[in-house]
Amino acid sequence: MASVSGYTSLPGWLLRRVAGMVLTMLTVSFLVFAVLELNIDDVAVKVLGQFSTVDQRQAWLQENGYNAPFLLRYLRWLGEFITGHWGTSTYYREDVLTLILPRLGASGILAGAALLAIVPVGLLMGIIAGVREGSAVDRLVSVFAIVTTSIPEFASAVFLTALFVFWLGWLPGVSTMADGFHLRELILPVSVLTLYSAGYIARMTRSSMVDVMQSPYIRTARLKGNSMRRVILHHALRNALITPVTVIMLQIPWLLSGVIVVEVFFAYQGFGTLLYQAALNTDIDLIEACTMVSVAVVVFTQVGSDLLYAWLNPRMSLRALGRSSGVR
Amino acid sequence: MSEPPTGSPNAASAGQALENNDGSQLHPAARPLIQDALRGGTDRRSVLRVLSWLGVSVTSARALLGLTAVAADALPWRGQGSRPSGIPQSQAPRQGGILRFVCSVQQMTDPAATTWIEASNLFRNSVEFLTYVDSDNVTHPYLAESWHPSEDLKTWEFKLRDGVRWSNGDRLTVADVAFNINRWIAPSSKSPNRTTFAPITGIEALDELRFRLHLSRPICSLPEHLYAATCPILHRHFEEQGANWPRNPVGTGPFQLTDYHVSRIAVFKRRRDYWGRPAYLDEIRYLDLGTEVATHVAALAAGQVDLLYRVTISELDLVSRFPSMRLLTEPSAQTLVMRMQQDKKPYDDVRVRKAVVLSCDREQMLRLAYRNHGVLGEHHHVAPFHPDYFRLPPIKRDVAAARGLLAAAGYPNGIDLTLALGNTQGRYEQDTAQVLQQNCAEAGIRLTLQVIPAAEYWTIWDKVPFGISYWGHRPLGIMALELAYRSGSVWNESHFANARFDAALDKALGILDPRQRSLAMGDVERILQEEAVMVQAYFPRKFTVSSERVRGFRADPQDYYRMDGVWLA
Amino acid sequence: MSVRYAWLKSLARPTAAIGALLVVGWLLVALLSRVLAPHDPLHSMIPLMTPGARGPDGAVFWLGTDALGRDVLSRLIFGARTVVVVATAATLTAYAVGISTGLLAGYFRGRVDTALSFFANVILSFPVLVLYIVIIVALGASAANVVLAVTFGSAPAIFRIVRAITIDLRSRDFIAAAITQGESTWRILLVEILPNSSGALIVDFCLRLGYSAITMGVLGFLGLGLPPPTPDWGGMVNEGRTMAFAFPHLVLFPCLALSSLVLGLSLLADGLRQSAGRMRRVG
Repeated sequence: MASVSGYTSLPGWLLRRVAGMVLTMLTVSFLVFAVLELNIDDVAVKVLGQFSTVDQRQAWLQENGYNAPFLLRYLRWLGEFITGHWGTSTYYREDVLTLILPRLGASGILAGAALLAIVPVGLLMGIIAGVREGSAVDRLVSVFAIVTTSIPEFASAVFLTALFVFWLGWLPGVSTMADGFHLRELILPVSVLTLYSAGYIARMTRSSMVDVMQSPYIRTARLKGNSMRRVILHHALRNALITPVTVIMLQIPWLLSGVIVVEVFFAYQGFGTLLYQAALNTDIDLIEACTMVSVAVVVFTQVGSDLLYAWLNPRMSLRALGRSSGVR
Repeated sequence: MSEPPTGSPNAASAGQALENNDGSQLHPAARPLIQDALRGGTDRRSVLRVLSWLGVSVTSARALLGLTAVAADALPWRGQGSRPSGIPQSQAPRQGGILRFVCSVQQMTDPAATTWIEASNLFRNSVEFLTYVDSDNVTHPYLAESWHPSEDLKTWEFKLRDGVRWSNGDRLTVADVAFNINRWIAPSSKSPNRTTFAPITGIEALDELRFRLHLSRPICSLPEHLYAATCPILHRHFEEQGANWPRNPVGTGPFQLTDYHVSRIAVFKRRRDYWGRPAYLDEIRYLDLGTEVATHVAALAAGQVDLLYRVTISELDLVSRFPSMRLLTEPSAQTLVMRMQQDKKPYDDVRVRKAVVLSCDREQMLRLAYRNHGVLGEHHHVAPFHPDYFRLPPIKRDVAAARGLLAAAGYPNGIDLTLALGNTQGRYEQDTAQVLQQNCAEAGIRLTLQVIPAAEYWTIWDKVPFGISYWGHRPLGIMALELAYRSGSVWNESHFANARFDAALDKALGILDPRQRSLAMGDVERILQEEAVMVQAYFPRKFTVSSERVRGFRADPQDYYRMDGVWLA
Repeated sequence: MSVRYAWLKSLARPTAAIGALLVVGWLLVALLSRVLAPHDPLHSMIPLMTPGARGPDGAVFWLGTDALGRDVLSRLIFGARTVVVVATAATLTAYAVGISTGLLAGYFRGRVDTALSFFANVILSFPVLVLYIVIIVALGASAANVVLAVTFGSAPAIFRIVRAITIDLRSRDFIAAAITQGESTWRILLVEILPNSSGALIVDFCLRLGYSAITMGVLGFLGLGLPPPTPDWGGMVNEGRTMAFAFPHLVLFPCLALSSLVLGLSLLADGLRQSAGRMRRVG
């Protein structure tokens, strides 16, 4: 984000960020539209099928306004998009909006379940490691974190499936929810996600915890004779958790679109598989809509994360914000 | 197909017992064929097939030839149960249950224009065909109760079954059939039926249930062609009502479509007012679990589903670990055709094409890509077990000759080619291509593989100069040749246009006697080999898997599944 | 202590040492692949042999063979070459783009900075995997396109890091001194600023190399990786996945290889970061 000079107030900052968000989303929409709809012949083939004739395609293109200049088409699409008309999927033959909503819900459930596992596990590991810096536990947690973040999701999915589905037979191998919702079907995907993410959260929490534990404020509290537990609970945690909490918030976009591999592997009918299918099939309206939704989630969580950070850490001025890491 | 005949054939009663389904006079070729078979000349099963085309009652023909039915006849009006192998006869079918079938649910609007066999299996539950071809490739009456051809095989008279009702209450009449046939052969038709039924000049309605088809040239196997996936009989108002079948699923079949969501689920429920014996299952749920077959196997292992549509060679080991899973397999004429487009450089030079074909090591391909579960092909798309197969001199791999041909064509230092594929049936496509790559490398052909996502591949399958296409099984070798290599055919992806070939095809289509037809096919096959139209190395077997609860289901070489005889234990 | 040479001391720490060992080990394997590999990775022999089995001519297949009869060990070794070459090329390209734009934005500020930062934000708002998939599906699968995709995905983050460091360093005295002395902008950027950011960048480079390797693995797993028959660890997992239960060696070894390489890079980065002091994570 551009430099913010001078004294900034919350409303002013917020306005600037929202403007930035809108501008970002507009640019993304333009880029995506340009990449997908510049070549209009492909669009006609997609909709009418590979056996359509050149005349049929020309006729269809004319009818649907594809012969208008590019900018006009873009503005028309933008207008429709903002008013909630997201077009029709050429692959699923359904209205895009009604297609996306249940998938978002499904990914939301997966993300929620994953967070329920990632947050406690990651935070707990990080806190313990940070408090006992340099100890065996610390090394163990660090090693665990590094190892789990080095194993790609598909690899851990393969190992877990081989172990729990084929060898032990304890868990189902797919999570399609075809028979209705089953909690058992969530266990493996959530485990894979947790393995990959909890380690990262643990490391962030640990380093933040270590920072805080060595700060003068905490040392003074300890010297004053407060018990270790009191020190941690009352003083250290609140400060140490600021960064991890904001980082956790930034996992949300990843849990929506970055988990394509896990969703595809377990055939989970979520937003990730929808995006994947849309991209593979060059399903234009669907790709555009999905990308806009993903980007919206990203920018909203970025702003939200900054706000949360500012709220938790009143000493940090809004001025220094804008450095939130949106990527690992 | 190679079952030895049982029982003693009784030549003396040939005249009395053999009869047409509609009681009309037998075609003059029928009796000589039977006598030839009884003498040990032509194979009995081939003769049975031919007789079924001619409208002869299959039961009477079987009795005379001394053959027993090997296939599950599962014909609803006979009131018989199915008899798949391995299941004790004493077990009576159980009524009821919901079958969960893992199968792609593809987008489909017009059954006559469908390119997906999966989609055809779905609508096959609700719409029906004039004839039915069983797993032994014998043609039976279905919506058409009987038929008989004229002597020159150019006029075919059909009689429809009486009392068949559409799901919207209307009666099935000749008007429906006429609507469909005219649709198929219309010049604007997008269906491959246009090519197959091009010789039909018109349909003549004799009364409400009888009609005549007039052909411009003889097709002796016409009834068998009428069971192709794209030939269901749709309601006469199909076009008026929007020509979108899933939206308005009117049919005559034993099931009714209640839900259809592409890439997700399709649900069929049993129709109680079906004209034949009602189906055993209450409901069939087709679940689209994506393209990863290993995921499907995992779902079956966990009891989430009952039946899989297809399993590829890579999953065989996985399946063998689960004793509760039943592996079903059938030999099949499905195959991968690596075809070269003859109007694009450098494939317009027959020497280049021949070089590619000569460098191919078919045995290695079958061994590595499909673990020898199949039969070798001979680069002409007709399988050795096809009744119309003609044995040509065996092909030898010849790398030196390939090099020589390339040099003669102007490529002394080898040539760079690109092969596109989509792994639409499984990874074995890619494996086959990699073996070809190694084979070609020895001849100086540097083959680059272009792997495209499966769904994308179907939009370009007929446009790439050198690509791998999957062709499903057809009961007769000539059926695939008609669709793929006749000039101007809708699915002629190799742009092969050879007048001599077309003439040879026409000739073969008109010959009734299996042996004579085989000889005619020899010409057809030879032309394809000489022109090096494709690399077609093997015919892989078909595999699928079911749980042990599923009864009455048999793998079909064409993947044409009729679900009305299936029940759950 | 000069940040510039702190990384040498860091190698003395055990985790960093292990990391360095792993990375250098795989690097050597990649460089000496032709010498180390016992067989031609593209040559089919006997399919699905178990690890340690002996072939008809007495040769031992230490890691078994795959479904097409190719030696897994040889494919693993050449796969290392593929990963090292492509991932390094991808990361270096991303760095070239990221560093040049980051330096420019951080040094000149103003409109240049606004524009570049905005553009980086836009790309960062894209779900990364979708970006990769769309690029590969649109352009086809090849090494060059994988490099392009990874560059697109990584350059903005590198841009941010470099920009933040440049802004920070720019305000320092020694830069002001250089400016008064009349040093050209290029010299300042390349000689003064860049080397002083090397600490953070080297740490990031190691990590990013690991991410690039994982990205290649993921793309291969989704079937969008390098075209066959190129030995590619992700592609090997993709091909062997369905038979993994009966023939675990098909997926086990590529997964272990990829994980160990990325682990090595992560450990190395971790060690470097610790000894370079507690630098504020920027960007």
